[in-house]
Amino acid sequence: MASGTSIPIGVMTAGRTGVQRGSMRRFAQRRSTIAFLLCLPLILLIATFVVYPAIYAIYLSMLNKKMTTFVGLGNFAFLLRRHTFQLVIFQSCLFAITSVVLKAIIGFILAHLMHNIPGKNQRIWRGLLLVPWVIPLALSTLTWWWMFDPSYSAFNWVLNRFGIASVPWLGVGWIARFCTITVNVWYGTPFFMIMYLAALKSVPDQLYEAAAIDGANAVQKLFFVTLPMMRNIIAITVLFSLIVTFADFDIVRILTAGGPQDMTHVFATYAFQVGIQSGDIPLGAADSLFMFPILAFAAFFVLRGVTQRTKEIAA
Amino acid sequence: MGKATRRSMLKLAAASAALPLVHIRSGRAAGKLSVAFWDHWVPSGNAVMKKQIADWAAKTQVEVQTDFITSVGQKNVLTIAAEHQAKTGHDIQAFPTWEVLNNADTLEPMDDVMKHLTGKYGPVNQVCEYLAKVKGNWLAVPTSSGTQYKGPCGRISVLKEKAGLDVVAMYPAREVHTRESDGWTWDAHYKAADACAKAGMPFAIGLGQTSDSVDTAGALFRAFGAELVDKDGNITVKSDKVRAVLEFGQTFVKVLPDDAVSYDDASNNRALIAGKSALIWNPPSAWAVAKRDAPKVAADCWTFSAPSGPDGRFVPYLPFFWGVWSFSRNKTAAKELITYLLQREPVEQRCTAVFGYDVPPFNSMLNFKVWQEVEPPKGTVYNYPIRPVHKATAHIAGMPAPSDIAVQIYNRGTMPTMLAKLKSGQSVDQVISWASDELEGFTR
Amino acid sequence: MSTSVATAGRRAPTTAHKHSLHRSRMWALWGSYIALGVFVIMFLIPPFYTLMTSLKSSAEISAQTGSPWIVHHPTLANFWYLITYPNFQRYYLNSIIVTVLTVAVSMVISVLAAFSLSRMGFWGSQTLSTGVFLTYLVPSSLLFIPLFQIVGWLGLINNFWCLVLLYPTLAVPFCTWIMIGYFSSIPKELDEAALIDGAGYLQILWKIFIPVAMPGIIAATIFAFTVAWGQFLYPLAYLYTSNQMVLTVGIISDLIRGDVFQWGKIMAACLLASLPPILIYAFLMDYYVAGLTAGATKG
Repeated sequence: MASGTSIPIGVMTAGRTGVQRGSMRRFAQRRSTIAFLLCLPLILLIATFVVYPAIYAIYLSMLNKKMTTFVGLGNFAFLLRRHTFQLVIFQSCLFAITSVVLKAIIGFILAHLMHNIPGKNQRIWRGLLLVPWVIPLALSTLTWWWMFDPSYSAFNWVLNRFGIASVPWLGVGWIARFCTITVNVWYGTPFFMIMYLAALKSVPDQLYEAAAIDGANAVQKLFFVTLPMMRNIIAITVLFSLIVTFADFDIVRILTAGGPQDMTHVFATYAFQVGIQSGDIPLGAADSLFMFPILAFAAFFVLRGVTQRTKEIAA
Repeated sequence: MGKATRRSMLKLAAASAALPLVHIRSGRAAGKLSVAFWDHWVPSGNAVMKKQIADWAAKTQVEVQTDFITSVGQKNVLTIAAEHQAKTGHDIQAFPTWEVLNNADTLEPMDDVMKHLTGKYGPVNQVCEYLAKVKGNWLAVPTSSGTQYKGPCGRISVLKEKAGLDVVAMYPAREVHTRESDGWTWDAHYKAADACAKAGMPFAIGLGQTSDSVDTAGALFRAFGAELVDKDGNITVKSDKVRAVLEFGQTFVKVLPDDAVSYDDASNNRALIAGKSALIWNPPSAWAVAKRDAPKVAADCWTFSAPSGPDGRFVPYLPFFWGVWSFSRNKTAAKELITYLLQREPVEQRCTAVFGYDVPPFNSMLNFKVWQEVEPPKGTVYNYPIRPVHKATAHIAGMPAPSDIAVQIYNRGTMPTMLAKLKSGQSVDQVISWASDELEGFTR
Repeated sequence: MSTSVATAGRRAPTTAHKHSLHRSRMWALWGSYIALGVFVIMFLIPPFYTLMTSLKSSAEISAQTGSPWIVHHPTLANFWYLITYPNFQRYYLNSIIVTVLTVAVSMVISVLAAFSLSRMGFWGSQTLSTGVFLTYLVPSSLLFIPLFQIVGWLGLINNFWCLVLLYPTLAVPFCTWIMIGYFSSIPKELDEAALIDGAGYLQILWKIFIPVAMPGIIAATIFAFTVAWGQFLYPLAYLYTSNQMVLTVGIISDLIRGDVFQWGKIMAACLLASLPPILIYAFLMDYYVAGLTAGATKG
């Protein structure tokens, strides 16, 4: 970011106005004090409501069920041995990765289609496509649930019309997994679309013109101009969405509550069931903490890539 | 008879001896009190409760703040967890089934209140004791509000025509034991389910992981004497009785709807109301909605006792409790309010307001008129609460395992999941080995 | 590029070569429209079904005669019930209060921080600007259990003010990131010149940065709004009486009674609750895209 380069400006300014060295240093000090004060609300907010509870969660996860004795990493070891929890890890990854990949691809296609049509017509199309993202997720999931309902399913009505037997949407493991992923893709794709569209708009037209002069076709333009220019924004959007999807609670909780037979549980819903419903808060905390290393791993690689590319561009 | 009268006289004397104490305290029980009760599915239930509390507040000069908290989305359980963690909140909380045990360390003993109430109205059942009595102390008081049985509720005409079952003759709206009811066994239940399923009106019994499914499966397992974990915490899933119930289950699940494994607590209601099912296991809430949305279905509904198995007749029972947090700042007033609200008259008022949905914890209150009068058809919920003539026992799935294991058996839906696995084609052995692995995880 | 398509379309039919180019472009254009149309239909199925169900009476819903996709006896009773229902009005009001305050708090925090991080810097500011984004690695589904204690300690259990404190943690990192990107794109000569003129930092921020970065601010505001309006887990966990609840959790707690779902009313409530975000997006959409274009792509 710019912070590294901005200090010399200050020094330069001070030098130009011809003030003594001492006051220059004082100026720099004063400047960083103000800078720190401006960040203070942010730091306090994050420290109180994110960092502290996260540390407290780590502490909680190391207690026994009655929260009376310290058991170290016992809860984590216990969870890892459970078949149900292994299933939860698998499903969380399946849910998050499949959803994000689909969202990224569909979002990319949509952004391109949108970019193809004249600017003045884009508004209405963009608006219509953004609707899923705009409705509060907990409420739209209720609609989906209602459409999947065994006795009233509107989808089954359509299938029956075509002579196809009713599908137990949320009753069979893989179909239920498919349903949760569908709802997530439906909800999250518009965000990808809008981020990509923003990125597409910021690719300079000259680049395409240059590519056209070199005789590049559409596919080549996509791979050698568009994608490289959009790499950072794709990476950041994917990371952001991966985190949010991994931590999803609303969709699975409302749609299946983890069922059938635990086949759709993800970390958050399992933590809720273990921690709140069965009264084992330490185990629930331990369960949700498993999200952290997985996400941190993904974040490390994505952000390293972003920083590297940013440096390349700068150089 | 005379003996009984004398005993109840004695009880009454004991109660009245306790009463003045409570009343003397009421002189001083001023201050503030905040209470959280279960948000009743019948809105009029809340209204009556509010009025009763207002009356009490006016009499005692206590300022009462009443909140009604829904159980939808486990909201009430979350609230309890929040207050338990934060050590602050309401003075009185309504604890559904397992929550007393989950929060035992921060609950005020209620032995004095229980002594007064049981002295006056008779003992409460074993399930209440199992769920709220810890190391000899009552940590909460079983209440009527929200307490429910979940026996069968069937379509009179459908069961008669398709399965030859006359449920009204089996369980008439009178205090009488019938010979027909002796034939109401799990085998008869299976045969009826089979016949109705063939006629396109299956028994809408879920094999999901929510409470309706768990309760029905729990009653089935118990009727066969099949315990997953015994009262000492030993895993007993590899027993002949568990095998027997699973062998029965293997044929039984075949006549349940295909989507039974994805049922939640509303699916069975919807199936009944939509006129697609001959029988569900549910409190009269399904019937009451049918009364509003599908009156013809409602007029054809009859609630009755559960079928019996080799080990007896067991009806799913889900009691609610009222407890006082140990961090409450007005325990005296809290206990007094609970005592007041559980006197016969207020209990009957509330019970009547909700069409008999609430089951009082004391058998002496089973003669409320409401169960005879509610209609259509008249007497449809007469046999909803267990009556002595039913020769049935209240049961909660997971009992008698130690509570911290049982709560997981219940909340993780181990028993219906076992049945669901049978339905998906697994063998009895596979299911038993899955269950024993799962149960090991609960004995942490 | 979009404009070039449009202009090409207008003046194309002069020569044969241009004509064929025009045709292929026309095809691409129509292809895009058709593909978009298909996507729009798929994306709008659930909202459409919501609308249809909201116009049905409970009796029609449970009767299950005919197609569930169309309404046979439309009624506005569900909407009328909600509009005149005091609890629902309360949820709406609470949602508005919480959202407006959350947006205000989030924007103040993130604009100040972004200004400091992108222009001034102090010891550790580099770490902070990356670290802020990393707070998303600790999601709310992990935090809600330990937060019980903090919220209780603040005395804010069952008080919607706790959301005004908690929601910004969900919005601020992304907003800060957009704003850092946007501020970095403002030429340094601007604030240099202002500094020489003797302006203070806050003056520079207020007089130069904020006006110039308005699209970015609007984009960030809309993001914060979306987050605050739709969050479900925190209000589910910390609010339990109807005078404190916000829309998401209020609708679910109030219109579902036990195992009884009042679908018509739930769907109507869902539509009413989606109204403010739909309006905001409808009016501010262009700024949103523009703000993200300038901000996000440079972060």
